[in-house]
Amino acid sequence: MSSIKEKFNQISPSEFFYSNRDLAGFSNPTRSLYTAVREFVENALDACDQKGILPDVHLTIKAVEPEKPDPKPYILTVKDNGPGIDAEHIPLAFGTVLYGSKFGLKQARGMFGLGATMAILYGQITTNKPVIVKSCSDGAIQNQFEILLDIQKNKPVIVKHTTKEVSKKGLSVSICLEGDYSKAGNKIRDYVYETSLITPYASITFDDPKGQKFTHTRFVKEIPPPPTIIRPHPHGIDVERIRRMIVESQFEIPVIDDAMIEKVRKDLGLSKKNLSFTAIMDKAKKKWKTLSRQVRVVIALMSFLKMDFEKLNKIKIEDLDIPNKKLFYWDFGDSQSKAVDLDPESQYYKQLTNTVQGEPLTTFLTKRFQRIGPTTAVKFAEFAKFKPEKRMGTLTNQELVQLSDSLQKFDDFMAPDSSCLAPLGEEPLEKGIKKFFNPDFTAVVQRPPSAYSGFPFIVEMGIAYGGDIKSGGPHVYRYANRIPLLYDEGSDVVLKVVNDTDWGRYKVKGDPPFIIVSHICSTRIPYKTAGKENVADRQEIERELRLALQFLSRKLAAYMSKRGQADMAKKRANLYAKYIPLIAEFCTELAGKKKAPNYQKILDENAVDNTVKPKKDEKEESVIGNN
Amino acid sequence: MATTKEKNKIKERGKKADEKQKNILEMLKSHGAKIYDDLDNGQFPKFSIPSRSVSNIVYDKKLRQYILGNNAAVRSSRNSAQLRSFTQLMWLAFFANRLTHEKKSSTLRDVYYSSQAFAIEFEDQSESDNIIVDLEAVTSKPREDFHIFPEERSSIFGDLNIEYTIPGYEGKSMNLSNHPDGYSIGPSLTTAELVDTSAEIVIAIEKGGLFTRFVEEQIDKKFKSIIINTGGQAPRSTRTLLKRLHDEMGLPVIVLTDGDVYGEHIAMVIKSGSANAAHLRELTVPDAKWVGVWATDIEKYKLPTIPMTESDIKRCYDLQKDPRYQDGIWKKELDVFLRLKRKAELEAFSKYGLTNITDKYLPQKLELAKSL
Repeated sequence: MSSIKEKFNQISPSEFFYSNRDLAGFSNPTRSLYTAVREFVENALDACDQKGILPDVHLTIKAVEPEKPDPKPYILTVKDNGPGIDAEHIPLAFGTVLYGSKFGLKQARGMFGLGATMAILYGQITTNKPVIVKSCSDGAIQNQFEILLDIQKNKPVIVKHTTKEVSKKGLSVSICLEGDYSKAGNKIRDYVYETSLITPYASITFDDPKGQKFTHTRFVKEIPPPPTIIRPHPHGIDVERIRRMIVESQFEIPVIDDAMIEKVRKDLGLSKKNLSFTAIMDKAKKKWKTLSRQVRVVIALMSFLKMDFEKLNKIKIEDLDIPNKKLFYWDFGDSQSKAVDLDPESQYYKQLTNTVQGEPLTTFLTKRFQRIGPTTAVKFAEFAKFKPEKRMGTLTNQELVQLSDSLQKFDDFMAPDSSCLAPLGEEPLEKGIKKFFNPDFTAVVQRPPSAYSGFPFIVEMGIAYGGDIKSGGPHVYRYANRIPLLYDEGSDVVLKVVNDTDWGRYKVKGDPPFIIVSHICSTRIPYKTAGKENVADRQEIERELRLALQFLSRKLAAYMSKRGQADMAKKRANLYAKYIPLIAEFCTELAGKKKAPNYQKILDENAVDNTVKPKKDEKEESVIGNN
Repeated sequence: MATTKEKNKIKERGKKADEKQKNILEMLKSHGAKIYDDLDNGQFPKFSIPSRSVSNIVYDKKLRQYILGNNAAVRSSRNSAQLRSFTQLMWLAFFANRLTHEKKSSTLRDVYYSSQAFAIEFEDQSESDNIIVDLEAVTSKPREDFHIFPEERSSIFGDLNIEYTIPGYEGKSMNLSNHPDGYSIGPSLTTAELVDTSAEIVIAIEKGGLFTRFVEEQIDKKFKSIIINTGGQAPRSTRTLLKRLHDEMGLPVIVLTDGDVYGEHIAMVIKSGSANAAHLRELTVPDAKWVGVWATDIEKYKLPTIPMTESDIKRCYDLQKDPRYQDGIWKKELDVFLRLKRKAELEAFSKYGLTNITDKYLPQKLELAKSL
């Protein structure tokens, strides 16, 4: 048998991502450069969005040694006019994996600020250069950091820290990383282009390594309302989340130390001199209504311990065993654990149980979840077969699972609150499409909020036809939380819905010059992979996409048939103009006339007449027989 | 030197030809005038055209041929789907008018190419051929009347005097037994006046090879006949000529074909026309007689045979549905073909010697024809 012992190590998050970097889109120099651009640009836009600042984002990519062949090191810099980051947070924010400000439940481009740190990590392992962060959050002092990551410890190493005076707020992040611009360039330019379509209120510039400058100026002056942080929806919850929420809601038994005893004395209005247990309890009874919760709990405990302050000093409360109605405490004098029985008839018993057993179910539901009122809470309790006054702290593991299941299954909860979402809005979307494609026809729609698994989402969609759009469509522009999705379109739910559509039914034929812009906003986009490039076909999302597309397709069909009619009338007028003069010429000679008949009248009338419908062509069928 | 009587006859015949030309031109003019007036009155011109669809082709027992029923469609220049064919037809009328006026003839292919001089487009010749049939249907006149002829492929031989009416040859006469290869049946022959003949019968034969044999064997003299090579299915000009020989000269017509279902149908088309030309009534010789080669002859004369193909058999079943094949030899022979599932060619008689067909078979058949 082998004598080698298995070694169990705990690895740090940064160590984990170092080993699994393709999970986050850093699989090769091409993809990594693109992903790094994305992460920094998205962070910049997010920062501005949240403070309601119209974003000015500058992206620069410079080759360190331009003449070297790809892949090679590039310096990637993204600069914004956002709120900046306070100096004390900078090392942790840029030098730690899984540190960030995006853990609440609201829509943002990134979830955890993980990607940016991954980019920094990737840059460091490929070029061994620190990240350079320049931040000014007060409009006066700019902090400049050079930071390296200690991957094993998941800790930042500050290489250099300087400050200088500036006049503008904002953040600039610069990393050196190995990339392949010759291959990634197209995607990066597409990304910047498509981002500016869905972020029409931002100005984005891009200086590429070949000296080209791409400028996208804002053409919408108002920033859409920022999303708010919301409480969770019951459909989006699991057992672990409930357990944590119960713990948060419980009121702990206060530690009875000198400070606490002093507080009780003061609140009861007692002098320094010691009172007997009974006297204390009398005083407490009189003043009960004015006492704080903490003090009430201490008094309740004392009622069962039957101790004065002197004695209280010598014990420590260990446990309150409500099911067995016992109170355990440690006696320092005897150095042993002791127990007293709790009298359930006592008026103080309820005070204690309330404390340890937490809120009743209905209170828990109305206070901790979004959009649940007392009526719904009672209805739910009945549905889940719990007493409405059931204390959350008394739930057994089994009951917890039952509660969690019931929360998923109960259909009468209101739809999730969508105030945490930030769709672009129909008007800016339409403006963007018109500006980018100069189409002959545009239609946009924003679907009402919906939800999958308790996560609210909104689908916005636009359709455009003709104008500057290239033929061979429909070309689909996919967005999720204002991020353009450029890779892996084959398996995306939007593509699925578009491909399922029979465009012939909507009078769209051949190689139409035709685009679709689809934007899904959600507190959680169900990406298929960690690379965040394609959305899974969740039934609820697919349905909303389908409804949006059908609505727009009908509008397109109306346009197409109108256009078809106009085309037809024009075509017919052309035919008349071509053939009628010939007929006139021939019949003039046939009739033996000198002058041609005046046919101009019918040409003039029918150039504008759309009402004539062509009859079914009377084509002769094949005839039998020979010859 | 021609006698006064003969001169008068020539004059009369010339007058007749002029009359015919005048009628055609008048008819075209009246069609043209109607369209001219419509245009001048600010209206889209239109006209009625008999439907040539299968459902509108019916067999007329009295006329003993296929004719078009009463269904007609309106072709309107207002209808953009019909505008093109409307214009094509107008052009064709215009072109036919010029041809007739100038006494020039043209072929189907010639028409197709001529259109290009007038910015009229036909996709292919079959489209222009179809328009020509449209013109025939509208005017109820065969295209030959408009001086449009098919390519020549059939020929005639025998003692028949004719007199040309075409420009440059007016009054010039010809005897059709002067050239042993026969005379090809083209526009000049079709439009020629038939003056006189010593023949008592017209023998139409399907094959060029046998036609030559018949000339060599002087069948024209031996049986006082005019021999016509139909070259397979008889072209319309040949059918016109057959009709004229029958109607104008009072000659009976007999038809000799290969011993197969197609041969039987060649004879039937000469007799009662084709569905394709149901819009025309001047192409049939209802009294024409098919004398062979019959299916029963195959057995009777023990002719060498070849098996029928799938399509031969299918054709038999198709013809069984045709009202003309419901009785008499037409039905009987068809049934025998189907029973034998074999066929024989005219040349099969060569098994018994080169002249067997003319020496033995033909005399027997001519005798038989009298009783048919």
